[in-house]
Amino acid sequence: MALLEVRDLHKSFGHGRTLTPAVRGVDLEVDRGETLGLVGESGCGKTTLGRVVVGLQEPSSGAIYFDGELLDGKMSRPEYRRRVQMVFQHPAQSLNRRMRVDTTLAEPLRLLKVAPRDEVAGRIDEVMRLVGMGPDYLKRRPGQLSGGQQQRIAIARALMPGPDLVVLDEPTSSLDQSVRGRIIALLRSIQEEQDVAYVFISHDLSTVRRIADRVAVMYLGRIVEIAPTEQVFKDPQHPYTKALLSAVPSMDLDNRGSRIILAGETPSPSDVPVGCSFQDRCPLVHERCGLEEPRLVSLGDGRKVECFAVTDPN
Amino acid sequence: MSLLEVSGLTVGVEHSPHALLRDVDFTVEAGQIMGLVGESGSGKTMSALAIMDLLPAGIERRAGTVRLDGRDLVAQDRETVDRNANDMTMIFQHPRSALNPTMRVGRQIGRALEINQDMGRAAARSRATEMLNHVGIPGADRVARAYPHQLSGGMCQRVMIAMALACRPRVLIADEPTTALDVTIQAQIFDLINDLVEETGCGVLFITHDLGAIAEMCDRVTVLYGGQVMETGDVRQVFTDSRHPYTQFLFDAVVREADPSVEEKDVNFALQGCRFGHRCPYAFDACAEFPLLREVDTGHLTSCFLHQKENALGSA
Ligand SMILES: Nc1ncnc2c1ncn2[C@@H]1O[C@H](COP(=O)(O)OP(=O)(O)OP(=O)(O)O)[C@@H](O)[C@H]1O
Ligand SMILES: Nc1ncnc2c1ncn2[C@@H]1O[C@H](COP(=O)(O)OP(=O)(O)OP(=O)(O)O)[C@@H](O)[C@H]1O
Ligand code: SF4
Ligand code: SF4
Ligand SMILES: [Mg+2]
Ligand SMILES: [Mg+2]
Repeated sequence: MALLEVRDLHKSFGHGRTLTPAVRGVDLEVDRGETLGLVGESGCGKTTLGRVVVGLQEPSSGAIYFDGELLDGKMSRPEYRRRVQMVFQHPAQSLNRRMRVDTTLAEPLRLLKVAPRDEVAGRIDEVMRLVGMGPDYLKRRPGQLSGGQQQRIAIARALMPGPDLVVLDEPTSSLDQSVRGRIIALLRSIQEEQDVAYVFISHDLSTVRRIADRVAVMYLGRIVEIAPTEQVFKDPQHPYTKALLSAVPSMDLDNRGSRIILAGETPSPSDVPVGCSFQDRCPLVHERCGLEEPRLVSLGDGRKVECFAVTDPN
Repeated sequence: MSLLEVSGLTVGVEHSPHALLRDVDFTVEAGQIMGLVGESGSGKTMSALAIMDLLPAGIERRAGTVRLDGRDLVAQDRETVDRNANDMTMIFQHPRSALNPTMRVGRQIGRALEINQDMGRAAARSRATEMLNHVGIPGADRVARAYPHQLSGGMCQRVMIAMALACRPRVLIADEPTTALDVTIQAQIFDLINDLVEETGCGVLFITHDLGAIAEMCDRVTVLYGGQVMETGDVRQVFTDSRHPYTQFLFDAVVREADPSVEEKDVNFALQGCRFGHRCPYAFDACAEFPLLREVDTGHLTSCFLHQKENALGSA
């Protein structure tokens, strides 16, 4: 049984003319101890999906099962709050501006009473060492830390209470390579020790490739491809996934500007076309794409893709 | 004369002897993009804030000058500074906290235009929507009417970018401008910045920790560690002929998987000598002094005693 199971999840904001369907029918599972990478265009609904999963926002419709149990109104129970954590995209959302680093890290342990008082200091030292920050930082407040330092404290804080699932929203985007490497190593070692699962939301494809077991690619509120990590990177199926992978900047000075810029614009989420939502930008678009909505279809080898050209070529 | 010239910039925490930036020197030329790269906590944002004269409370500038076309932009005596609204604009690292949470984002861009470009309200409004379109935000009309909390992280970042580009500054400071954006939109934003440079001949200080983005975007690059400029020069010089042990370490980090069993040392701001001294495999006696930047090749400078020693030996 999967640790997390999401079924036909929808989440919209606003109403009438401002109705914005941010998540439009997502299905996914995350196993215990697994890392699911979640990538996709800015504004495609990744953060919204994450927030709904951790119970910060009510879904508009659909179901979420955690450990086999349907979550409805049970989300606020302290037990769920301990077991499911989120690291926010913007560190200021994870950290209390007025709270010093040591209090920030001790807070979840104190509130959720998961560690005896005399162990707290030891755990704090340990986690600070793992995120690569010395003890001098413990007395500082978030405003006295650099962007990347704030992000590391936010990650450390989420891992303190020993959760089963952590949604990490762009955890490494403001970190440089060497710190990023440390964070990945930290996440992995905690995963091995505690069998925690991660939903790793990121634009940073090389980090996703290093850390994720499977990758889900989102476009305009739907998952358009989900597959084991290496298959996504080596043999992407969906035309959007292909374009996304081609745009990664490389350090190759003689190859500047070889990236593909997708034609057309992403439709506004409040104005999604009939049929496939990628049709205006898709190089493989054909008649059927404007008439019918493609659905996520299994290719039978652990991969699922939502595109007529791939799943139903004629 | 350079468009923007930063020299001897030294910044520290009040009542503390340690400097967060020490003797920072670099220039930004008109029509060029200067990259500022360095690991987390190295002082990139601090440098930008010092240039903008926006240092946070508790942080003081102790020495150094910032000149735009030779004009002093930060002087001890604020009265004498003549800074124009469109001299410099900055795209902040955390756009959500830089945006006003209580004002619709279209209005925020419009306001910036009214102030910086002397536009009327209606013209500013339509220009704001147009700019939102340019930065690839679908449904710009809807977004213009939204408050920051109703937008995704990447949308807020693009709102900041739209606002900065609309102001057509002489110098644009972009602090990690694309961390919240996917690579396709990042590519689009890079193009917009390049267009702005081409059209207006402005100079850009492009802050990032992504060496790929530097390779793609920048003409020159400055490498910062512990608030000390380690190396500065042409991107090609620094990438293919790096002369500083730290720069080499930084490049290695790209291919090296960080080994968690190795204790990685934090920047030590208390060091009097070279800031990289406690991690540098080549450190020797001279490194207890502070190494100033020296030219190793035309336009290529490093702050490392190693070359000065080699040169001394070579010429002896
Ligand atoms: N108010 C403060 N008081 C004391 N130290 C501070 C304060 N603000 C920042 N610092 C320290 O100054 C150093 C430089 O910070 P800065 O924000 O410039 O880093 P950065 O290079 O932008 O890093 P990042 O990539 O993580 O954003 C950091 O080590 C940080 O901890
Ligand atoms: N509170 C809200 N009110 C109205 N609209 C919202 C709200 N939160 C999110 N949205 C909209 O939902 C859509 C998806 O936003 P979301 O933050 O989930 O995107 P994302 O994939 O995380 O993007 P990014 O990569 O830029 O962070 C966007 O169009 C956004 O404007
Ligand atoms: S369904 Fe059609 S428009 Fe959509 S991605 Fe596939 S080929 Fe392109
Ligand atoms: S000055 Fe000394 S310590 Fe600093 S980088 Fe050069 S050799 Fe290493
Ligand atoms: Mg997001
Ligand atoms: Mg910074």
